Amino acid sequence: MKLLDMTRKYGNATYNYPFEPYVVPEGFRGKPAYDYEKCIGCAACAVACPSNAINVKLNEEKTKLVWEFDCARCIYCGRCDEVCPTNAVMLSDEFETAVRFDRKNLLERGCLEVEYCEKCNKPFTTKKLIAYDLERLKRVGWDEATLADKTKYIHTCPECKKDITVENSTQYFVRKRK
Amino acid sequence: MSKTYVVPEEIAAANTLEAKLRHLKNIKGSFNVFRVDCGSCNGCEIEIFAAITPMWDPERFGFKLVANPRHADILVCSGPVTRQMYYPLLRAYEASPNPKVVVAIGACGSSGGIFHDAYSVWGGIDKVIPVDVYIPGCPPHPATIIHGLATALGILDQKLEFKEHDNGSSESPKIDKSVFGNLLFERDVLAKSKQLMGYLYGRKLFDKYIKAIKESSDIQDIAKTKKTIERLSSEEKDPRYKECMRTIHNSVYLAHMKQFKEINIADQIEL
Repeated sequence: MKLLDMTRKYGNATYNYPFEPYVVPEGFRGKPAYDYEKCIGCAACAVACPSNAINVKLNEEKTKLVWEFDCARCIYCGRCDEVCPTNAVMLSDEFETAVRFDRKNLLERGCLEVEYCEKCNKPFTTKKLIAYDLERLKRVGWDEATLADKTKYIHTCPECKKDITVENSTQYFVRKRK
Repeated sequence: MSKTYVVPEEIAAANTLEAKLRHLKNIKGSFNVFRVDCGSCNGCEIEIFAAITPMWDPERFGFKLVANPRHADILVCSGPVTRQMYYPLLRAYEASPNPKVVVAIGACGSSGGIFHDAYSVWGGIDKVIPVDVYIPGCPPHPATIIHGLATALGILDQKLEFKEHDNGSSESPKIDKSVFGNLLFERDVLAKSKQLMGYLYGRKLFDKYIKAIKESSDIQDIAKTKKTIERLSSEEKDPRYKECMRTIHNSVYLAHMKQFKEINIADQIEL
C-alpha cells in the first residue's frame, strides 16, 4: 500500500507505448525519409554513407539510374541528410521499422532518367541533375554569353571532356611550334 | 560467404507458419525470450535491457528474458554472426523448443550493417538460420524493440512496405530566389552555418539568418542590415543562434559586400 501511495505521488513512469503513440524527442534520428520529387541523383548520399545502405547504380538496361536505400543496413548517422544538396533525404521521426519475414519490405527505390553524353552516347548522369545545375547557374548573376561559355560541355561526359581538352591543347601547341 | 547450414527436416517440419501461429495463440501473454549475442558490439544489448526496464515495461505483455535456450519461445539474435559465433548460434537454435520465433535485432543482425562486407562475419542472422522478424536500427530504440516484439507476436502490424518510385519528371526541383540575386551568397551562408552548428541546427540557423536578412529594408545598405540583424539576433532565446547569426554576418555577409563597398571594422557586429 505504501508503494501505491508513492506511485500516486510521483506519477506513472512507464510509457504506454504500443497502446498509444510515443512522441520522440526533438532531433531524434529516425529512418531517413526519401523525397523522390526532390532527388536529383547526384549520389552524394551514396558516397557519404559509411555502411553502404544507400546505393546509386545504373540498372541493367542502362536506361535508369536507381537510387536504393536498404533500411536494414542503415546506422542512422545522418550523413546523407548532411550532404544532400536539395534536402531530398532527411532523417524523419519514424522509429517503427520492424518487418516480418521479408527483408525486401525494408527497401526503398527511386528510378531517375539518365542523361546520355552527346559525343559518345554513354549514360553518365541524370537529366534532373543537369536541369538543376543549369537552373542554379542561371542565378549566379552571369550574363548570357558567360553562361553559354561556361556550360558548353554540360551535356558531355567526363571522359569525352578530357579528350576534348587534350585535343584542344595539342592543337594549341602545334600552332605555337609553327 | 555462401550458406552452408541446412535446417534439419524435423525442425523445418515443426516450424511451419501455421504451427507458429498456433503456438503464439497458446503462449499469449507469457513468452520467454533468449538473447543470443553473435558478435554484437553490445549496443543492441544495452537497448534490450533499456527496453525491459520499468520505463517501457514489456512484462505487461509477458516478456521475460531467460538464461537458457531450452526455455525460450523467442530467440533474439544480435550481431553480424562472426565466425566464432556460428556454431554457438546453431546450437542455441537447435536447442530451443519447436516452434521457435527468431528475431534479428539491430542493423548487424538484419543485414550485417556496417560490417556487411567484412571478411570475418557472415553478414546477418538470415544468412545462417531462417528469421521471422527484422528489427533494424543501430542500435534500435527501445520503442522499436517493443514494436518489433509486438510484431513478432502479432499484436501490431508492420508499418514499412517496399516502395518503388518511377516515372518522375526530369524538371529541376524548385530553387528559392536569392536575396542578393547571387546564389553564391546562400551557398556560403549554408556552408558556414553547417560548419558552426552541424547539419541539424545548421539548417535552422540558415533559415533564421535568411529570414532575418530579408527583413532589412535595404539589403545593400551595410548599416541598416547591421541594425536589423543585431535586433533580430538579440530576440533569439537560444544564445547559440544569437552568436552564430552574428558570426555569419561578420564573415559571410561582409565578405560579399566587399565587392561593392569599403568595409570598416565598425561594420562588424559585436558577438
